Amino acid sequence: MRLRVDTDRALSPSQQIVEAVLDAVASGELRAEARLPSVREAAAAALVNPNTVARAWRDLEALGVVEGRAGSGVFVTEGGPEVARRERRKATLAALRVAAEEALRAGHASETVLEETRRAIERDGEGTRREAKTGGPEGKGGRR
Amino acid sequence: MSDLVTVEVKGLAYAFGRHRVLDGLDLALPTGSTTVLLGANGASKTTLLRLLAGLLKPAAGTISVLGLDPARQRDRLCARLGFVPDTPDAWPWMTTEELGRFLAAHHPRWDDALATELRTSLGVPANRRLRDMSRGEATKAMLATTLGHAPEVLLLDEPFGGLDPIAHEEILGCVVRALEVGTRTVLVSTHDLDVAARLGDHVAVLAGGCIARIVPMEEAATGTAPRREALKGMFADVVRGERT
Repeated sequence: MRLRVDTDRALSPSQQIVEAVLDAVASGELRAEARLPSVREAAAAALVNPNTVARAWRDLEALGVVEGRAGSGVFVTEGGPEVARRERRKATLAALRVAAEEALRAGHASETVLEETRRAIERDGEGTRREAKTGGPEGKGGRR
Repeated sequence: MSDLVTVEVKGLAYAFGRHRVLDGLDLALPTGSTTVLLGANGASKTTLLRLLAGLLKPAAGTISVLGLDPARQRDRLCARLGFVPDTPDAWPWMTTEELGRFLAAHHPRWDDALATELRTSLGVPANRRLRDMSRGEATKAMLATTLGHAPEVLLLDEPFGGLDPIAHEEILGCVVRALEVGTRTVLVSTHDLDVAARLGDHVAVLAGGCIARIVPMEEAATGTAPRREALKGMFADVVRGERT
């Protein structure tokens, strides 16, 4: 898991750490029952105040992705991978919407934007197959 | 967060001759938190830190650090406070190892294993004299020896100035590991807004001889702007306000 924080990103440092853990859990790098690094270790890796990591761990716990166990650390929950995938889908869909809006503002025709999106999907055939295996994109989960 | 305050400054004034550089300065640092001190060049950040460390005597006002008066009870405070000045102030002819041995003899709480581990992990040469070290090496040596006595209060005066990118990252890592949330009270003066954005629980701006603003980091960086940008905006706001 790459815990990197960039203070020039609009996302706050603790949200960036949440994002990195969600990525690692969604991709299977961190499986259910896996132990997260300690707050101190994670802070040293991300080069941030330990309070920032503690906040990220709290946010992840509120999402249901991880749980703290007294005395032994913070672990990915049984349902963690599913929640992480759902959160990642939400975030990527939001990013796609922003990109589409920007493209339209820049003067592209809506047909062009649709066509480019379709082409990207076709190019990434492997990605769509992978998605089909994990239950397909959730229309409901992605919209808010 | 705890409501306890480890450092409390009230109505502090300091002057170089007739030139008053600090005037009516109030500051309270909550126990176990990290505060980043920003200020324009010449804002007297170093003077404030030296006053807190008991190296200067206030012209007026009171300073309490761990319940002690730094200027009057410097000996007692020394054992519990760590100060890394912006330019190494240890004896230039000493090696890091000699400096460690010297401090061990003077600090009842000196932890030799910790100091050696810090020195090794930072790659500080044990047998090189401080005067023969690069800026990065000297800063690491000072930091390692300062942390060796496990200070409850840590004052860092621009530890990131004039460092190459690798030394910068190593020292930042060392400072992050030195932040003991809830127990160690830390004040870091810096011009580096990336460092400020990473380290601070609170951000303070020194301008016009007093703490013109002090806010929790979350408050300094609200809205959608990246944290570093938000800090720059706040800093510019305060400094411009003072100059007009």
